[in-house]
Amino acid sequence: MLFAPAILAAHVVLWHAYRGEEERALEHVVKTWNQTHPDETVDAVAVPYDAYSQKLSAAIPRGNGPDLFIAAHERIGDWRASGLIQQVPESADDDGYLPETFTPLHDGGKLFALPLAFKSLALFYRRDQLAQPPDTTDELIAFARQKRGAGKYGFAYETADFFYHAAWLHGFGGKIFDDGIPRLDSPEAIRSVEFVLALDREHLVPGDATHVLIAQLFNEGNAAMTIAGPWFTGEIAPGVDFGVARLPIVSETGKRAAPLLSIESVFLAARAASSQAALRFAHFLTGADGARIRAIEGRQTVAARAVWDDPRVKDDPILGAFYRQLPDTIATPSVPAMALIWEPVQNALRKVLRGAATPAAALHDAQARIMASIHLLPTPVSPLPYAIALGVFCLVALIYLSRRAASRLGQARKQRAAYAYLAPAAISMAILVFVPFAVGASMSLYHHQAGRFTFIGLQNFISILSLREIPITDPLSFYFTLGVTILWTVANVTLHVILGVSLALLLRNPLLKLRGVYRVLLIIPWAVPNYITALIWKGMFHRQFGAINGLLSLFGIAPVSWFSHFATSFAANLATNVWLGFPFMMVVTLGALSRIPKELEEAAALDGASAWERLRHIILPLLRPALLPSVILGAVWTFNMFNIVFLVSGGEPDGATDILVSQAYRWAFVRGSRYGYAAAYAVLIFLVLVIWSALARRLSDKEAEA
Amino acid sequence: MATLSVQSVKKSHGAATILKGISLDIADGEFLVLVGPSGCGKSTLLRCIAGLEELDSGAIVIDGANVTQSEPRDRDLAMVFQSYALYPHLTVRENLAFGLKMRKTPPSEIVTRVAEAARMLEIEPLLDRLPKNLSGGQRQRVAMGRAVVRRPKAFLFDEPLSNLDASLRGQMRIELMRLHRQLSATMIYVTHDQVEAMTLATRIAVMKAGELQQVGTPDELYQHPANQFVAKFIGTPEMNLIPADDARKLALVHSLPDGTAQVGVRAEDVHVGHGVGAADAMVEVVEHLGWEALVHLRIGALALVARMKDPPAVGARTSITLDAAGLHFFDGTGARIFSSNDRASAQRARP
Ligand SMILES: Nc1ncnc2c1ncn2[C@@H]1O[C@H](COP(=O)(O)OP(=O)(O)OP(=O)(O)O)[C@@H](O)[C@H]1O
Ligand SMILES: [Mg+2]
Repeated sequence: MLFAPAILAAHVVLWHAYRGEEERALEHVVKTWNQTHPDETVDAVAVPYDAYSQKLSAAIPRGNGPDLFIAAHERIGDWRASGLIQQVPESADDDGYLPETFTPLHDGGKLFALPLAFKSLALFYRRDQLAQPPDTTDELIAFARQKRGAGKYGFAYETADFFYHAAWLHGFGGKIFDDGIPRLDSPEAIRSVEFVLALDREHLVPGDATHVLIAQLFNEGNAAMTIAGPWFTGEIAPGVDFGVARLPIVSETGKRAAPLLSIESVFLAARAASSQAALRFAHFLTGADGARIRAIEGRQTVAARAVWDDPRVKDDPILGAFYRQLPDTIATPSVPAMALIWEPVQNALRKVLRGAATPAAALHDAQARIMASIHLLPTPVSPLPYAIALGVFCLVALIYLSRRAASRLGQARKQRAAYAYLAPAAISMAILVFVPFAVGASMSLYHHQAGRFTFIGLQNFISILSLREIPITDPLSFYFTLGVTILWTVANVTLHVILGVSLALLLRNPLLKLRGVYRVLLIIPWAVPNYITALIWKGMFHRQFGAINGLLSLFGIAPVSWFSHFATSFAANLATNVWLGFPFMMVVTLGALSRIPKELEEAAALDGASAWERLRHIILPLLRPALLPSVILGAVWTFNMFNIVFLVSGGEPDGATDILVSQAYRWAFVRGSRYGYAAAYAVLIFLVLVIWSALARRLSDKEAEA
Repeated sequence: MATLSVQSVKKSHGAATILKGISLDIADGEFLVLVGPSGCGKSTLLRCIAGLEELDSGAIVIDGANVTQSEPRDRDLAMVFQSYALYPHLTVRENLAFGLKMRKTPPSEIVTRVAEAARMLEIEPLLDRLPKNLSGGQRQRVAMGRAVVRRPKAFLFDEPLSNLDASLRGQMRIELMRLHRQLSATMIYVTHDQVEAMTLATRIAVMKAGELQQVGTPDELYQHPANQFVAKFIGTPEMNLIPADDARKLALVHSLPDGTAQVGVRAEDVHVGHGVGAADAMVEVVEHLGWEALVHLRIGALALVARMKDPPAVGARTSITLDAAGLHFFDGTGARIFSSNDRASAQRARP
């Protein structure tokens, strides 16, 4: 480095989350650039999609980030506010971009990215079932009526997902934001929901459809059409002859259904080391030369206009269809408030589809919620009193600890080696447990918005614990969720113990043949990773295609819409978690049983006790002390059993089956990144568990005395 | 109280035959002690009687009623286990009361009977303790109390004293005798211990490898062992066995019944250093037991033990004689040969 002419050579780092052909095309473009620009080389780094935005917001402010990064345009508002991105100067080349893909990259009149490709939904159809895709909703409905049959549909899509629904919303003339203000309860919006409700009621579309189910129906020929994005081509089974077309015109309004448009763009990161070189490459990448490679090799629907004159791109049946859809798309709003829209609207859609509310009522409610969450900005307060309180607390703690330490110092000296051995564990504990805990706890005193944390004292806690904003009967209320969580914990642990102990007692029977086999079989649910089990059970509880309703129908019981009611949804979660949890109790019980001498039972038998009395008076009381620690621990695990609740019911209906942790998760990651609020939840969960462990300790102390 | 009858009981575990047809009648109020080497099936027999093991064949009859197919709880027997098997989560009082409660005894009667049993076994101060806070001897008493309180038809004891130290064992032995007298109960008692067997039993049953060898009063077994095994098993030190050839060669005996293979003689019937010296023996070891001593003697290849008050010095040479009245004769199979000695004692025993 010392001898290299470092000043001349610029090195541009580009982050992306592409895979497969898109990644290969990008690398091809980079290689082409690097061959002609040896002094401004570019390094493309693939970053896993899961943690992409977290990585960006962690790395860029610390100067460890890339110069350029590729992302969808939706978060421009957020990133601009949090200072993650820089303005991109407008240039003469900008005419070369399709205007639909270019205009949305502005925020407050300034340009912040260059467009790479656009992605929207379109209509996928099977050519073997329909030669010509419907061009209006009337045609579509007529076709769907004709195709409707047992497990067969003319049309299928994720009706309860707002991402899909937005196309109808726009087609009916509605808007998500009107003059920057959310407007989800407009008459047009209500009409659009009524339209979908009618489809559902007429069984023209499958209910509760998930992404996986849609792909399955389409591939098996049980759905002739679906709404999907370009990624869907990868999920279509080989051999299925399909076509892509524009979404139909809404017959009622004469407007074409307009899906949300996502524009994949290249951003110039704040603190980019070589922004000039980076910009030059960004123009090359987004411009005609780069775009051609990406379109042909990466099969991207690129934003560079010139490429669309190329017959290889224009006449491509898939790319061409998305290109034709483009004029009838609406760019996903990139204001931070968009993050607050999803959950309430989604809940409203689900509520309507399961018949719990009319479209108008559900949307009015959603609108109210959105407005409330936007206006819920707490006032900043001075951190001084808190700092003083913390200082005093630390001082007192320090004095107390040093007093105690002083009296033990002599002893500690003698055991220096022991302390040295302990040190690595103690230090890593401190770093891995106490530091995150302290950070999390202090975060609960802040309000987070758009990357900025404002100190607000205890207002998060007050807002959570006071019933001013959310009534206690609302599933979002802390007390409601706490009640559900306690019910959840008690029900689970009780069933775990009953089932585990019963099975262990059965397995103990010496007359039972193949005991070892059963033992292994019964432990299997425990050995399978719990998210896999959770997904399997979710599938089994599906209203239309699930195994459980299938079984019920054998007995003539009508299909149950498991996730539409609190009791059934809770029961579905419970069943899944009991399935996962009983083997542990069974194993613990088997161990404890093997430690009860056989003679005790024999003595009881001679004393005149029947089998039941022996169980009740001898075995169960002797199992108690062994089971107690498992029950205490199991209660803590269950209390925080995020996976099951999140994956099986997902909190449905309306978050009523959410437990405290999944609720905290939603505050942090679904409802507009309210990290402070979520952290306050976490602190409260911690306090509840502290109280529980104190109680549990008393309980087990009492047991030990006895 | 009850009579108890074991009729041709057979029992096997898998391929191993544990009991090979045991028949045994126990009279009302009898204290029968079962002895035999480890693994011979004593516990198994006891468990068969209690109903804890199913029989392969045979029958258990209590008071004339066949209970072979009955559950343990319906046989009304009490068993004291070697490990005591006290219910660890119940206090002594609750342990005692458990059997009564299970049999739906009225609470007021439970109280009086528990108090009575506690008094009898002197465990009144322990009533509110848990078993883990008791000493071994105290646990033993509680286990006994738990049996006593029920007033069962018969008591079954499986080596109840084997976990106690020697002095405590002695004490409990006396206690058991007293208990037996007080309750005049039918008891079956398994033990390894010679002294326990001899002191407690009204009759002793000797078992070997799943078969009964002899059943009789302690005196009968001591004086007239039915075979070599019983002869060696009963009595300390073991009976001296001298091959018939040696006995003849060394002129230790005057005449032998026909077919004698071994001559048995107890240590107290070996006399040293007086009378007409028949054989010349060397004193190898002397075990002093206090008021008497065991003297280990050697005559050529033959080893003998004698019991006496004034032992000779180690290394001394001495002459020995055998008391003719104390001789036992066994044939080649180990069975006793009925001899004049037996007739003599039989006559003596006749009233
Ligand atoms: N459940 C069983 N399965 C197989 N064999 C067994 C079982 N229980 C006992 N036995 C065998 O039966 C034989 C008799 O056992 P038992 O306990 O009756 O002997 P014991 O006379 O009480 O011996 P000890 O004096 O050592 O208590 C032993 O050889 C033992 O190994
Ligand atoms: Mg035994």
